[in-house]
Amino acid sequence: MQTFAWLILALPLAGSLITALGYKLWPGRLPGVIGTVAIAAAFVCTVLTLIKLQDLDPEHRQVLFVGWDYAATFGVDAEISILIDPLSLFMALVVTGVSTLIHLYSISYMWSDKGYARFFSYLNFFVVSMLVLVLAGNFLLLIVGWAFVGAASYLLISFWYRRTTATRAGIKAFVINVVGDIGLILGTYFIFRNSGTLDFFGTFQQAGSLPEGDLTAGCILLLVGAFAKSAQIPLHTWLPDAMEGPTPVSALIHAATMVTAGVYLIARMWPLFEHAPAAADVGAVIGAITLLVAATIGLVVTDLKRVIAYSTMSQIGYMIMAVSAGAYAAGLFHLMTHAFFKALLFMAAGSVIAAMAGEQNLDRMGGFRKAMPFTFACFVIGGLSLSGVPPFSGFFSKDEIIALMGERGGWHWILFVAGYVGSFITAVYTWRMIFRAFWGEPVAEALELQRGHLHHAEVHRNPATGEEEDTDVGFPGSEHHIAEREWPMKGAMIVLAVGATALGVLQLPFHTTDVVDNFLEPTFRGSKYFGALDPSDGFTTIGLVIGAVLGVAGIAIAYRIWVQKPGTSARVQARFAGLHRLFANKWYFDDLIDVVVVRPFGWFGRFGQQTFERVFVQGTLVGGTTSIVRAGSAAVRAMQSGLLRAYAALLVLGALVVVFYFLAQS
Amino acid sequence: MAIGWYLAVSALIFTIGAAGVMTRRNPLVVLLCLELMLNAANLALIAFSRMYGNGDGQIFAIIVLVVAACEVTVGLGVIVAMARRNVPIDVDELRELHG
Amino acid sequence: MTIHLSLLLWLPTIAGLIGALLGRRQAGGVALVGAALALAYAIVAVTRFKSGGGLQFVTDEPWISALGTRWKLGADGLNLFLVLLTTVSFTASTAWAARKGGYDRPRVFFFWMGLAHSAVLGALLAQDLLLFTVFFDLMLVPFLFLTGMFGGEDRVRAVVRLFIYTLVGSLLMLAAAIAFAVLAAGDQPISFVFSDLAARGPIANGSQNWIFLCFAAAFLIKMPAFPFQGWMPDGYLNMPLPVLAVFSGVLSKVAAYGFLKICLPFFPHASAHFQTLVLLIALASILYGSAMAFTTTNTRLVLGYSSVAQLGFIVLGIFSLRPEGAQGALLQAVNHGLVVVPAFFIVGLLAARAGSDDLRDMGAGALRAPVLAALFLVVALATLAMPGSSNFAGEFLILLGVFRAKIVIAIVAFAGVAMASVYMLRMFIRAVHNPAGAGMESLELSAGDGLILVPLVLTIVALALYPQVALVRSERAVGAAVAAVGTGPVQSATAARLAESGGAP
Repeated sequence: MQTFAWLILALPLAGSLITALGYKLWPGRLPGVIGTVAIAAAFVCTVLTLIKLQDLDPEHRQVLFVGWDYAATFGVDAEISILIDPLSLFMALVVTGVSTLIHLYSISYMWSDKGYARFFSYLNFFVVSMLVLVLAGNFLLLIVGWAFVGAASYLLISFWYRRTTATRAGIKAFVINVVGDIGLILGTYFIFRNSGTLDFFGTFQQAGSLPEGDLTAGCILLLVGAFAKSAQIPLHTWLPDAMEGPTPVSALIHAATMVTAGVYLIARMWPLFEHAPAAADVGAVIGAITLLVAATIGLVVTDLKRVIAYSTMSQIGYMIMAVSAGAYAAGLFHLMTHAFFKALLFMAAGSVIAAMAGEQNLDRMGGFRKAMPFTFACFVIGGLSLSGVPPFSGFFSKDEIIALMGERGGWHWILFVAGYVGSFITAVYTWRMIFRAFWGEPVAEALELQRGHLHHAEVHRNPATGEEEDTDVGFPGSEHHIAEREWPMKGAMIVLAVGATALGVLQLPFHTTDVVDNFLEPTFRGSKYFGALDPSDGFTTIGLVIGAVLGVAGIAIAYRIWVQKPGTSARVQARFAGLHRLFANKWYFDDLIDVVVVRPFGWFGRFGQQTFERVFVQGTLVGGTTSIVRAGSAAVRAMQSGLLRAYAALLVLGALVVVFYFLAQS
Repeated sequence: MAIGWYLAVSALIFTIGAAGVMTRRNPLVVLLCLELMLNAANLALIAFSRMYGNGDGQIFAIIVLVVAACEVTVGLGVIVAMARRNVPIDVDELRELHG
Repeated sequence: MTIHLSLLLWLPTIAGLIGALLGRRQAGGVALVGAALALAYAIVAVTRFKSGGGLQFVTDEPWISALGTRWKLGADGLNLFLVLLTTVSFTASTAWAARKGGYDRPRVFFFWMGLAHSAVLGALLAQDLLLFTVFFDLMLVPFLFLTGMFGGEDRVRAVVRLFIYTLVGSLLMLAAAIAFAVLAAGDQPISFVFSDLAARGPIANGSQNWIFLCFAAAFLIKMPAFPFQGWMPDGYLNMPLPVLAVFSGVLSKVAAYGFLKICLPFFPHASAHFQTLVLLIALASILYGSAMAFTTTNTRLVLGYSSVAQLGFIVLGIFSLRPEGAQGALLQAVNHGLVVVPAFFIVGLLAARAGSDDLRDMGAGALRAPVLAALFLVVALATLAMPGSSNFAGEFLILLGVFRAKIVIAIVAFAGVAMASVYMLRMFIRAVHNPAGAGMESLELSAGDGLILVPLVLTIVALALYPQVALVRSERAVGAAVAAVGTGPVQSATAARLAESGGAP
């Protein structure tokens, strides 16, 4: 098992290095194939490890493998160690599984890009990082994985690095993620200073005996890390901008895997959070707020990928809410189904964007139903699953979360209501997007495609700014690829579509199936909530009905507004102008951060550069020191008059002083 | 005879010499005054030598004489060379070495 | 084979001298061979070093017996990896200078490089306070000439400032060193040897305070720390690139080393007494250096101010007065040297391609130069101490130490971590990403440059995978240095905490 476990990490790393080092040698699509095979092999290793793990007794299904001492000194037990348990393997399975499909998709999608090998190298590097994150056996390695995925995310957001919009989005994502890293590190310090160990098991064993204040502070700081990575308010502003990256990146990193790291973190730290209920409540509330705020923004955004990005934020809000409130299995189950349907939606969106030759604005799309039947079908499956319509997987996972919120009772009822409100808005914005892209009058690009020709732009432009671009390295490639014409894209999407449809069977209500629960049980042994939160059958039924009704109602309203009576949306917009402005400006979070953080730092830097450095340092300090030295040397120089008689006089004077000194002495 | 008188003469000559070095501007005169100071020192050395009945002081005086001779030779040589090049013979004018 | 540290110390100078005597063409090559031999010798020394063994490879000869000072050299956990860093940096820089050429008096240039190398090694290896002071001052001389003779446009101004600033520090240090030896001696014969000074125990608290301040001033100026960085911009802008690389990479580390080697063990009371003051200076260096680094557009100054900030972290670690903090500081000293040398080379290459040091003239440098950009990326990420780099291991330990000692300072210092990511990525993006600058020509790394840069970057990666290699060797010496403060009269609480966390392995 140990060999397989380490191979899970080693294979993608090897893939990353091989594609990178041979960037000049590999012909054609080979880098893509190498990358995909590496991840697929890692997936196989994960499955093999899983099989071995399931052979063990449930009590022993948490295994720690120590590699080597990393920075162990003076009681800091920093080692390279990986933890194999159901939770880490669950994550590893989702990560490697979805990654394999997205790599497969990218083989075609990125084909004309001049940075083909670089793309796969980065993508493989991302998978290594993510696996380090989920397999880490101690806080230090967790932080390493945490930062590595941030770096990989930065590299992939800025993949088209000659676009200033992309580089700006990249640095924004990186810096906000560093803020998250800092939260994680500080949280670790707060816990470590009492527990004296960085090891997960060692820490969890002492969870009950840690002082409450430090534990709560530590957990809230861990949440800061989780919020930054999972794009929760107020550290979410990087995620919509991250859509500057290529679409497969959005699918993999900014939907299916990396952004769910926060959910994993909270689930992993459950022994700490259960002893720090205040911190857990903070997580649940922020999750609920995020799911609502993001959903409302999703209603008004016109960029196709950004709609899905806000939807991602919102869905992760559900997960964070779930795991913070003790609904671990439900949150993780939603994480898995979300990975499938959201990756599917992004892939389908990528296909549409390709058909539009890079254009992402929903206002310019329409009527792609006939031109792209396969993409359309995938979009609809993803959309139904996201909206929580039975029997798609999203329906079961989301409703389980909301039902458990109700089951917790007390003020968690607010979360319960927020969950259903969010679910309704989700259905509306999802289907707004689908109706606007696929219904209505076919646009020129759609008609061109119906005639059998894929639209290509004469002049390549940045979709965000309209600047002209060439198709060399650092900008998108010259050709676009749609799912209808490329079997790797099609194959990946079919698998995801099947998953998005059918994964619900893993965990059907009324304990019909409990695969996820049973599988994860060893990790959460001893939890106050795991398994103990169990809604009654009647409550579950009511929840399911409400969920299904809200989902269908949302779709119906979207149909009424954007298909039956086009123009309704403009009227609604005019009627609620203030609200619309609030949503369209993303609740002014960007502006707030700009005023509170960015500008003061910039001002401080400029003050230092232009005023302080010039006046005080160069003027007073440097000027002062040099002028003291200058004055001293000037005085000495003045005595060197060159006048012989003056020298003689000085000499005599000196002699007289000596003489008088001795006379006075005697 | 008490040593005091010798020393008084020596001090007088030394003071005349020092005053000359400080006040005169002609390098020839300055050199002469320097000689005066040296010889004042010699006088004192020999007087002390006599008083202690020890030859060391006289040996010192002879060395001073030799050094003085060398110094005057070089000094006069420099002054002659200056005169040949029409450099003004005035110590106040010769101050290129000021800082 | 026994390790003769005197041989290691003088190898570079001898090579420089031989090269200078042989002729213009040979000077660079011979100097490089000398530096490389020193490097090889240092590697041998590291492999033969016994982790828990105290002072090793000792050379102890009479030097100026009337002054009580001896020619005593030795390697312990504190200086071992700094010596290695010195030889690595100097070998790389000499190779870089030899390859780039273009110095009108190469024989002089390489002789001074060799002497600088020896002087730094001497300061690190010296086990005698006066010897340390002599080498510490001797370090300055070659750099004055290297800057003054081969520097940029404003070199005279730069040299004057560099000289005045560091001279003030050096003189303070000399006075303090003599005063310390005299006071420590008491009735016994005076001695400057570290082991004698240590055996004689700490001096009176009042004297400790002012002597500590003199040493601290010298070290803080050399680093430079805020607000003593006035000489830095001119110096960094005008030094020849290979000289700047070693200057920034190594000289500042000698100052940090001085704190650990001299201030903590010999002035325990003063170290504890001035802990907060020094921590605040370090904190100011971090914040100020970072803020300056993300507003300046000159690439050399970005690295310069980032060094101010990074040195701030190192001082922070040392003056956490906790063993893990000091361990982190020592590791970080090595790390920073290792990243800043290739960083300067890369910046130099990019400046050559853009025709200017200014970020505004650069852009899209990665277009035809993926290898160069990748190397730059690794160096940039290591500099901003991304977790997974050895710099992170250092920073993690430093901040952990400070967190345990003064929690508020640690939390504020984290702002520096975030700012580091801003200024390093900003430089990376504006140099090799973004639209191309007007005069920017994207050229791939040449094989020769690669031969120097790639091993340096591989060293960074190797240390990132296994920083323990340095930590395990320095543990004993660092523990002893910090424990000295812990046993001091004031900081008994530290001693208690030390004992609790198991001060020694």
